[in-house]
Amino acid sequence: MNALSVKGLTKRYPNFLLQDISFDLPQGKIMGLIGINGAGKSTTLKSIINLVNSDSGRIEMLDKDFRENEESCKQDMGVVLGGIDFYNHKKLTDITAVTKRFYKNWDDEAYQRYIKAFSLSPHKKVKELSSGMKVKYMLALALSHKAKLLILDEPTSGLDPVSRDDILELFRQLVDSKGLSILFSTHITSDLEKCADYITYIKDGRLLKSAEKSAFIESFQHLKEPGDKSELSLEEIMIRTERRSYDV
Amino acid sequence: MMFNLLYKELRLAAHPNLYIFTLLGVLVIVPAYPYGMVFLFGCLGPYISFMYGRETNDIYYTSLLPVKKRDTVKAKCLLMVLAQMTQLSISLPFAVLRLRTLPSSNPAGIEANIAYYGFGFIVYAIFNLIFLTQFFKTAHKVGKAFVLAIIPASIGVIIMEVLVHIPKFQWLDSVEPAIMLKQLPILIVGIIVYILSMLVAYRVSANRFQQVDL
Repeated sequence: MNALSVKGLTKRYPNFLLQDISFDLPQGKIMGLIGINGAGKSTTLKSIINLVNSDSGRIEMLDKDFRENEESCKQDMGVVLGGIDFYNHKKLTDITAVTKRFYKNWDDEAYQRYIKAFSLSPHKKVKELSSGMKVKYMLALALSHKAKLLILDEPTSGLDPVSRDDILELFRQLVDSKGLSILFSTHITSDLEKCADYITYIKDGRLLKSAEKSAFIESFQHLKEPGDKSELSLEEIMIRTERRSYDV
Repeated sequence: MMFNLLYKELRLAAHPNLYIFTLLGVLVIVPAYPYGMVFLFGCLGPYISFMYGRETNDIYYTSLLPVKKRDTVKAKCLLMVLAQMTQLSISLPFAVLRLRTLPSSNPAGIEANIAYYGFGFIVYAIFNLIFLTQFFKTAHKVGKAFVLAIIPASIGVIIMEVLVHIPKFQWLDSVEPAIMLKQLPILIVGIIVYILSMLVAYRVSANRFQQVDL
């Protein structure tokens, strides 16, 4: 079963077109959504979770149509929007007290466990948390209501290398020990090397390729230039795909 | 679910100012004061909370919860109704107390009588209908929605305050029980207008918010 299946997702803006995005994320896997800034990664994720009204396309989450079962699908989903902090001046305890009321599978004991494991202080305000801690707090909330699918928009952007590694390691552990499925966007290719099972590449609002990691890398080896001895890395693939020349 | 949404509004989304403006219902005990200001404070409180909500990404938080998109709108409508009805409820005992303790009438404008509360519902109704439907066109342009809504609401208050100075309408200023009975239709009309305006405001705002891309 697929944790998430996106078919023909299209969104028209006056100056941008996200066109015909399709991919499948199998259960218990991590998919990295890559692309340069402005490629359409956030629009894709926001369209999937219905924050943005798509013009066409079908989203299935755990074999259920997302649009028709939005409330029940969201019960099984955790979302982290990078760069959007909620209620900066509120304490974590306040946000948790409200959030837990909305989830039927909320587990208080699990929440206490995650808070402790992630070294979060519940009496701190959101603004007092570092970027990495904010992501961990959102993960603690999602895990406490037993989310089966995590969708994260650039969770590692702006993090130092150690915090980034820490978050990615946590993703891997969550998938391996709890069978979670994760879709996260990034423009940092080393994130994908570290923890992605599948890669979906979006360029200028179009899907370039969505495949299992080794097949993905293999499919871009035609970009090799004379003199390249080893296999192209993800970073080289991205740079060569996006490289422009300027007529100046 | 509605209770949970309202709980979220009060615990996370509402700015402390909302509580202060709501408490300003007590102003009807001031000996000389344009009591119509109370209703304008009842419009200011929600406006500041909406602005605070925008700065704290409240709409994003609510939209990610396992609720329908239109429930985000319903939560805001409920918050406004709760704040304004609380404000009126707080003012009532003070209106009675003023009547008992301060025999002289209010020289600044209308007395806190039955007609006053009827006009109050209408002022709230005008503000809420315009403010909510304008705000949910974008879910972020709160200043524009406020300006568009507060101007007609203020005109409503000015009309009420001026009307009682015209001899023909002086019965609107009375606190005599027999004359207040004559004012009762204004209160009934006010309540009906308020209910209708909230229903329309919710319906139109929810449809508009459905089209908004966050």
